[in-house]
Amino acid sequence: MSTPAAPTLPPLPRPRRWVVQQESVLVAAILALTLCVSLVNPDFLNTSNLLDIAVNTAYIAVAAAGMTMVIVSGNIDISVGSMLGVCATIAGELARNDVPVPLAFAAAVIAGGIMGAVNGALVAYARIPAIVVTLGMLSILRGGLILVTQGRWIESLPQAFFFSQRSTLGIPNPVWVMVIVALLVWFFMRYHRLGRAIYAVGGNAEAARLAGINPRQVHFFVFVVNGLLVGLAAVLYASKFTAIQSNAGQGFELAVISGTVVGGVSILGGTGTVLGAVLGSLLISQIGTAAVFLKVSPFWLQAVQGGLILLTVLVDVLRRRRMT
Amino acid sequence: MKRNPLNRSFVVLALSSLVIAACAAPPPAAQQPAAPAQPAAPAESQLPAGWKAGIPKNAPDRKGKKLVIRDVPKLIGIGYFAATTKGMEQAAAELGNIDFKTDAPTEAKIEKQIEFIDNFITQGVDVILFAANDPVAIAPVLKKALDQGILVIGYDADAQEDARQFFVNQATFEAIGAALIEDMVSQTGPDAEVAIVTSSLTAPNQNRWIEEMKKYAAAKYPNLKFVVTLPSEEDQQLAFKATQDIMKTYPNVKGVFGLSSVAFPGAADAVKQAGKCGQIAVVGLSTPNQMRPFVKEGCVKSVVLWNPIDLGYAAVYAARAVADGELKPGATTLKAGRLGELQVRGSEILLGPPFIFTKDNIDKFDF
Amino acid sequence: MTARTPTLSPARHVRVLRTQEGVLFIILLVIIVVLSLLSDRFLTANNLLNQTRLLTETALLALPMTLIIIGGGIDLSVGSTLAWSAVMLGFSWQLLGLPLPLAVLVCLLTGLLGGAVNGYLIAYVRVPPLIATLATLAIYRGFSFGISQARSARGFPEEFAFWGQGQIGPFPTQFVVLVVLIVAAHLLLSRTGFGRWVYAIGNNEVAARYSGIPVERVKFTLYALSGLMAGLAAFIFTSRVTTTRADAATGLELDVIAAVVLGGTSIFGGSGSVVGTMLGLAIITLLRNGLLLTGVKGDATFMVIGVVLIIAVLINDLVRKR
Repeated sequence: MSTPAAPTLPPLPRPRRWVVQQESVLVAAILALTLCVSLVNPDFLNTSNLLDIAVNTAYIAVAAAGMTMVIVSGNIDISVGSMLGVCATIAGELARNDVPVPLAFAAAVIAGGIMGAVNGALVAYARIPAIVVTLGMLSILRGGLILVTQGRWIESLPQAFFFSQRSTLGIPNPVWVMVIVALLVWFFMRYHRLGRAIYAVGGNAEAARLAGINPRQVHFFVFVVNGLLVGLAAVLYASKFTAIQSNAGQGFELAVISGTVVGGVSILGGTGTVLGAVLGSLLISQIGTAAVFLKVSPFWLQAVQGGLILLTVLVDVLRRRRMT
Repeated sequence: MKRNPLNRSFVVLALSSLVIAACAAPPPAAQQPAAPAQPAAPAESQLPAGWKAGIPKNAPDRKGKKLVIRDVPKLIGIGYFAATTKGMEQAAAELGNIDFKTDAPTEAKIEKQIEFIDNFITQGVDVILFAANDPVAIAPVLKKALDQGILVIGYDADAQEDARQFFVNQATFEAIGAALIEDMVSQTGPDAEVAIVTSSLTAPNQNRWIEEMKKYAAAKYPNLKFVVTLPSEEDQQLAFKATQDIMKTYPNVKGVFGLSSVAFPGAADAVKQAGKCGQIAVVGLSTPNQMRPFVKEGCVKSVVLWNPIDLGYAAVYAARAVADGELKPGATTLKAGRLGELQVRGSEILLGPPFIFTKDNIDKFDF
Repeated sequence: MTARTPTLSPARHVRVLRTQEGVLFIILLVIIVVLSLLSDRFLTANNLLNQTRLLTETALLALPMTLIIIGGGIDLSVGSTLAWSAVMLGFSWQLLGLPLPLAVLVCLLTGLLGGAVNGYLIAYVRVPPLIATLATLAIYRGFSFGISQARSARGFPEEFAFWGQGQIGPFPTQFVVLVVLIVAAHLLLSRTGFGRWVYAIGNNEVAARYSGIPVERVKFTLYALSGLMAGLAAFIFTSRVTTTRADAATGLELDVIAAVVLGGTSIFGGSGSVVGTMLGLAIITLLRNGLLLTGVKGDATFMVIGVVLIIAVLINDLVRKR
């Protein structure tokens, strides 16, 4: 194919200034929303409320960090909801049967990694499109989970299990995990050779290959890491409740993908940051709580949520357009 | 761009197979009524006056014969319907000569539930038991079953009356509504603000309960104020979050109703983790297994529910009795094994008053 | 474009079987043979015709979805659009008291409006399709709940059931409608300039733009069509289940997308066919139906379908690579 010589669209300038980054739009949106709602109901500004929002979002945000890597590499993972259910059940079942809690948590994370590796191998080495693999995996894991648990909730867990209900230095544990994971993944993707390779592969796999990157390895790698992070998210989820709902995680994939793409991670691959994804997840969660505080009729709740998400996205699209 | 020579042949193939199928279609298909919307015509004249429930057409004599029973609850994979299945299996084992199986979608979706029932009709089973995701939407497929001589009995969540023969009613909506309000008022007093966390805003049972609760409260406790009803979609996390938001937005709320087996523990967890056990009452419907930790800690005083094992058990006994011709229009009682004689009112079989689980008896139940 | 030989040589037969559709067709045949051996109730005209009733709504949505995905886009809002349209049908008939035919028109127009808004956002405002339709997925679902206040409309007259429960000759009404639309969609995609534009946009949007293709108009039309089909599916669905629910068709988008990708349409755009999608949908539907008839439980069936989805695409890939 010959490249047309006509007046091509100029390549997007890559602005470095903070004010024009995608993340800044999200931060602005979050601040604006906080301000508006707290004018109506000052309780919204309460520290405990803001922390509650963060805690409720943490497990979504941790999975969104993994999803960011998957999507930046040009793939997608729809099976995260089923994986969350499986990992949460594994952690709970082990802890209930007197396996030391740290081991139970580790097992859940590793199980996530293994499932991620299966996804990754099928995508990277059998070369099946990610959407097909993960759509299939969603079915397989969901069916298997119900077959095994028959819907029984997991209860009578040991006290040590409830990691997410505790705080360290006044900040709830899930928030710590969310922040640490976000920073680690952000740092890794920005500065590590392999992290940068994810952008390269997602942006242009052929060019990446010519630059000496093995795209298959990268694809495999992102799915494994994503699996590990979903396992971690499952630990945060499971240890948050007194009893674990064994068919947990239905529709979780939608929440994670929404957070990630609202956070500016391009579904075409190659662009986006994990900070955007975490902020996107926080924004969506905050919108939900804000709607209750504003006493929006529950029947219109979803429409308002969707409308605000669209508004954020539109602001971002228009902003980008003005730059070009 | 590549042209695909196969595409054209497929269109030809599809069209020709249409024609072939048109010629080969068996007469029974053609004889099916265009709109199976009218109630099955009463075959006998001895129907009680005003009988509105459905009657299977040309049902074969199944007295004492082996029955193939298929149970299609709203969904599988939750404790509640695992319990009804358990009861059904117990009854099937006691009665013998029954091939029983439960199968349903993994999510409470009416479209998928219809597909399951439709497939069981094709399979030619004797009895279909159901708990409807939607009373109206499920009616056409149930009527189709009746038209083909299949016995149709509901439990837990009813369909339109003319789409099934009998319905095993676990507890009337009025009784549940009253029990929930009384339970709440006993903890909060009659002048309190309360909120509701329901399952889905479209859930028919939940909406009827809410209606009856409000009616009962308006008559007896006019100062009980309902501030908001939020959905939780069978998701523990959503119920948890909804309850958190309720407590913060309506600081005067003294009680929260959790109206599903998932909404109730989710709500209880939110109250417990906010450290408000004892200050905010949590009342609702759920299974003992899911509520046990909260009841034992004292954060939840009592759980209102019927016994789902008994419910399933009664449904299979009803199926056998209908097949044997013992339970027919006009009957007033049903002999249901260990449950003794159950009262039959019209086309509804009554399981009895709702059951209240408390700290003292909750350990005796495993479902 | 490959030169086409007018004669049908044996070699070409082999080539035909190696196309995406050929492989799927063989997989479908294998499944049918195996299932008919396991259950004598499976391979009957009655059962198969009945299945078409159950799959019509999914199929109607899969037709435009195929075109959209070939064109490099995606529409996640189809299930919500269906619900919104259905709610509008019930609302305008029961609450506004419109005559039923007008209410059906409102239903179709609602779908068209939903699709057009998607199309406008995607084609002209240039919001990426996944994000735009993810947002409208929530918004349209929200409209369904808000407008209906979660109440369902019921009590439709008997003649209304014709479209979802009646039949034309031996065929379910909706199947006849579906076949007409399958042929139309197939011809639109494979025989018209519009179809070629869709492929061109999916292959390389920039190149398509420079070769004078009205990219925006094509995209807008595709999403608007998708909405219109959701409206039609809503009408047939309402007629089939005789009620309108705000939570109808939740998650249907995944079933639709599964059929399209199983049918060999590339999720990255540029290749795929209507015939492939219909074969994909047939495989999933018959597998679900057949396994249930043979007594396999729903949760296990769920797993089998996941495995088949992956393996079918894998086989397809291997066969075509050789």
